[in-house]
Amino acid sequence: MEGQAYMGIVRTPFAHARIRGIDLSKARASPDFIAALTGEDLVKQGVTTVPQNQWPPQKPAKRYHLAVGKVRFTGEPVAAILVRRKNSLEDLVELVEVDYDPLPVVTTIEESKKGKTLIYEDWSDNLSQRNDVKWGSAEKVIASAPYVIRAKEGIARQGSTPMEPHSTLVQYKKKEDVYEVYATVQSVHGLRGQLASQLHLPEERFHVKVMDMGGGFGSKGAQSYPEPLLACLFSRMTGLPVKWTATRTEEFLEAASGRDEYCGITLACDMGGKIVAVKAEVECDVGVTGTQNHMSQLSLWSMLGPYRIPNVDLRLAVYATNKMPLGPVRGAGAPEGCYFIERAMNIMAQKMGIDPLELRKRNLSAERRPGDTDRKPSGEEDHVRLINDLISQPRYEELLKWRKDVNSRFKRRGPSHSNIVAGLGVSIGGRSGFGGDEDEEEHPESDESPGGGDSREGSSQEKAEQWQQDGSQSEKGGESKGEKENDEASSWGESENEGSGVELDFESEYGRVTLDRNGKVTVYTGSSPHGQGIETTFAQLASEELKVPLDRVSVVWGDSVLVPAGVGTFGSRSAVTGGSAVVDASRKLRAQLFARVSELTGTKAEALSISDGRLVNTSRPSAELPTIAEILERLGLAEMSAESTYKVSSMSYSSGVHLCALTLDAELGTVKILRYVVVEDCGTMINKKIVEGQLHGGVVHAVGGALFEKLAYDEQGNLLTGTLVDYGIPTALDSPDVEVFHEVTPSTGTLNGTKGVGESGTIVGYAAVMNALNDALSLVRPGARVDVAPATPDSILAAINQPH
Amino acid sequence: MRVNRKQHSGAVEPRTLLVNFLRDDLGLTGTHVGCDTGHCGACTIIMNGKAVKSCMILAVQARDAEILTVEGLAEDGEKLHPIQEAFMQSHGLQCGFCTPGILMSSLFLLQRNPHPTEEEIRRGIEGNLCRCTGYVGIVRSVRAAAEALSKGKATTKKEREVEY
Amino acid sequence: MIPKKFDYHAPASVDEAIRLLGENEEAKILAGGQSLLPIMKLRLAAPTAVVDISRLPGLSYVRDMGAHLAVGALTTHDTLGSDKSVKERFSLITDAVTRIGDQQVRNLGTIGGSACHADPAGDIPTALLAADAQFVIEGKRGKRVVPARDFFVDLFTTAVSHDEMLIEVRLPYFPQRSASAYMKHCVREGGFAIAMVGVVATLEDGNSCRDSRIGVGAAGPTPIRAVSAERYLKGKTLDETTIAEAADRAVDEADPPSDVHGSREYRMEAIKVLTKRSLRLASERAGVLGMRVSE
Repeated sequence: MEGQAYMGIVRTPFAHARIRGIDLSKARASPDFIAALTGEDLVKQGVTTVPQNQWPPQKPAKRYHLAVGKVRFTGEPVAAILVRRKNSLEDLVELVEVDYDPLPVVTTIEESKKGKTLIYEDWSDNLSQRNDVKWGSAEKVIASAPYVIRAKEGIARQGSTPMEPHSTLVQYKKKEDVYEVYATVQSVHGLRGQLASQLHLPEERFHVKVMDMGGGFGSKGAQSYPEPLLACLFSRMTGLPVKWTATRTEEFLEAASGRDEYCGITLACDMGGKIVAVKAEVECDVGVTGTQNHMSQLSLWSMLGPYRIPNVDLRLAVYATNKMPLGPVRGAGAPEGCYFIERAMNIMAQKMGIDPLELRKRNLSAERRPGDTDRKPSGEEDHVRLINDLISQPRYEELLKWRKDVNSRFKRRGPSHSNIVAGLGVSIGGRSGFGGDEDEEEHPESDESPGGGDSREGSSQEKAEQWQQDGSQSEKGGESKGEKENDEASSWGESENEGSGVELDFESEYGRVTLDRNGKVTVYTGSSPHGQGIETTFAQLASEELKVPLDRVSVVWGDSVLVPAGVGTFGSRSAVTGGSAVVDASRKLRAQLFARVSELTGTKAEALSISDGRLVNTSRPSAELPTIAEILERLGLAEMSAESTYKVSSMSYSSGVHLCALTLDAELGTVKILRYVVVEDCGTMINKKIVEGQLHGGVVHAVGGALFEKLAYDEQGNLLTGTLVDYGIPTALDSPDVEVFHEVTPSTGTLNGTKGVGESGTIVGYAAVMNALNDALSLVRPGARVDVAPATPDSILAAINQPH
Repeated sequence: MRVNRKQHSGAVEPRTLLVNFLRDDLGLTGTHVGCDTGHCGACTIIMNGKAVKSCMILAVQARDAEILTVEGLAEDGEKLHPIQEAFMQSHGLQCGFCTPGILMSSLFLLQRNPHPTEEEIRRGIEGNLCRCTGYVGIVRSVRAAAEALSKGKATTKKEREVEY
Repeated sequence: MIPKKFDYHAPASVDEAIRLLGENEEAKILAGGQSLLPIMKLRLAAPTAVVDISRLPGLSYVRDMGAHLAVGALTTHDTLGSDKSVKERFSLITDAVTRIGDQQVRNLGTIGGSACHADPAGDIPTALLAADAQFVIEGKRGKRVVPARDFFVDLFTTAVSHDEMLIEVRLPYFPQRSASAYMKHCVREGGFAIAMVGVVATLEDGNSCRDSRIGVGAAGPTPIRAVSAERYLKGKTLDETTIAEAADRAVDEADPPSDVHGSREYRMEAIKVLTKRSLRLASERAGVLGMRVSE
């Protein structure tokens, strides 16, 4: 904006330290300096602490957007300054002197468990959450099962790493007392709610907008970051537009990253290969904790896959460390869970000496069970169908033969020996198409587990109560919406300064459809596309329903004033919830229009239809009806509209089966993926190219996560992988071509038959790649395994050279 | 300097990066900044006939240069360049952030190698990172663009060569 | 993201450039900028003056000088990589230069810039060491020629003094029946090099190795010559066994780091494998039959 000022953040170089003092004098002396804020300023002004959503229940972690008292992760913001010129921004940031008293640093779960150094001093230890899922008698059954495998699995800390770093631009408008906020967010309504809550103001004071955004993958969806809040404060203080753009380094230091889960799993099968028990200890490193911490909870549910398992004992412990907050990253816990079970299945298949796809089939029902609908999470029969689909593809036979050929050369000794080993790996899984909230009550196993009669112990409800008894002060989300008016310039209202997460209803989405006198349709959606092609697909939906040509439909999103309500785009939910809302609103609009036309023309509403934008009387096609424009004019309306806050009645699950073919260089430990095949069913495909694009990107994201990506810290808590060359997101040369085959079983739970597909490629991909790698490894040295991702050449060679 | 066939001039600090001059001084925000270390390629433009990363060049180094940015691809800003057309038809972009850089790198590649293999395409865009597409749609789009350009669907010399 | 302030100079001649360098100890030369700009943007380097030599005339060329190939210091990697005479007589240089960074970097980066940046994990330093290149340096007192083994002095440090400039790299032609190869190993394409090896092998009497040079990068503060491996190969027939033995010895002088991209042990292993494979490739190129096809 014209006359904008630039905000810079002073970040701690220490991972854990007390703040002794902040000296702004040198920065203030510069002619380019405008203003500064520290944590103390935030406290004085009653700004809330960093919000934490309360599902699942977790210990309140009191931390401000600018550190107060101490810093807890390298890169944590300590102060913010506002300067006149872009070029001098970093010069002035460097002039701010902060006096730190370093504290011991905790960067591993092991250290965190010891509890010698507390991340939050009002906690008695570093445990953030615990959750158990248990039924049947897993321990007993395992002890007597004929086939038992054990594995130590894990996925390191990995980032969303969108190509566009976070950014914000805020203009406080004094006359209207409104903040015009541009931000890189996956939900404008989410940010609006957060700002309102943090500053104790009504939501209407914030006009939040997002324009074209360079990717999100979760990191721009859920975490409450300091910068939009600080920009609001600065703009209010100075009247200037305030611009901030993260450098890539800052993006790496601050953006919520994901995974960092480790699982010691025991899987037991009977003689026929049916799973009889799963026992697992899952540990998650949540960093300093953040706004959304439900990922490992989701992993627990995902790690039972589509299988029906009679004896289950899963224990989750989530630990705080001196790392940036953990947040949702494409799949948000589901890739981890799917990886844990699907890797174990392949280990079991190898132990039993049977084909891995055969083992899956033995554990899935080919026929829908009585009482099931497609809304049951199992989707077993879907997976069986997809597995059979894969096996029937010529590509499948071709790859089996290819593997045999390559490996025969590897097995040869002498000059014709080749160092290249081929591996094939499979995995199956699915994704629910909204929000990410997996309601415990809806989980089928609790209702229908055959055999085991014990009810679940240690439910998260009980744990929630336990936290409350610990004297936690956290408020229920969404209630402190800040109805207090802002009386003085420097006061933000009385402080209820515990930040609580904004409650968005993940099961619903807002949609409004209008028709104007020119016959043009405008769709307003709470969904927030950043690459998912919603402008195309939602236009298709409205065009379909209203029979108006596609080029006469436009889609509006990303503006909290033009679109008054909404949830956002994450969790594979847009087509499912947002799309259903568009269909619902379109149908309502149609009904409304036909009712009015019927009144005006006497034609029965049931006989009315639209064709190519024109009204038609289906019982008397030759009868001339007025145009839509004429109808609107007669009604004195510029436009007609209908809206919908559509709530999906239950979850709908997409399913997929993946096959990864790769080669391993046995001398160097490097991997090259040659072919990747996806056989999937995500219900109705509004736009096939867009669906496939989502799957391609999702799979390659998993490839990066399985082979290259790790956010690594040293013992002092310094981030070692803070650039795009140190942190290995795949280049075009690392990525395979991805072939996709589709089945279409429309969902009955949505109005457009979609099931959600944005995260599917990533969820099922990790296991396919790791299973293929291990398939190759087993040929190099039987027993050699790498079960922790990323499977680096270092770890691969170590596995080859050392006994497991 | 000449940018997209128009003459421009400016006065900058020596440390002003070319990408910031293009974006902030000339208002050409199609060229994007995705990193600090020159690894993402989102800032790729064509300068004096070569694909280069504009974040790794000082604005002052580009004096008297001929520059083509993504805004200069479409004829008169209206009719899409065949490479843009190909990316649109073959779903070569999702969020679009890496796209301007990918287009310029691809253009440079096709200028030198009008019929690249898949391997050559992937190597040609090795310096451009994408997180959305997995590169599948991008490779297909470059192939489609190669076909379109070689079939002479481009009728002007400008479309076959990178001209200014 | 934005460098610290500096004065910018664009001299019109080598003499003027040298004068400017002499006047300011903190001045840095800017050629292609593909090594300098990244460290200035991260503020790891903050020169108070930048001397832009990228437009100096007459410093970009590849010339046959009879006993050697002369390459101007401002010759870009892209130009060098597409040069036929380089490919014919110095395949290891072509191998190395066509894999530096990515196309955009190769379009601007120069042989002189890479050599003087002296990144121990740099393709150019490693390949030029193996090729026994000579470096022509110009200063106030005129020109001098420094051989490769004396040119790379320490981490990011060369024999070029502050008020001097590299103006040419000379590649002495290999003796008859020589062949060369260069390989580098990255964890992922476009990632950091974990190991790199350049070899030149000269044969006589069939497949006997008269002489060899093995340059290893990312194995210490400067690229090194694997002299014990070279000594071992002297006079030996090149075959799978001798190549494997030489590869085992290639780590004798190596001192690679351990970091997040690879442990020391892994890097040592990678050096051995690359030595083996590049020796095989070089042998193949020299016409030794029956060599196993390298991966």
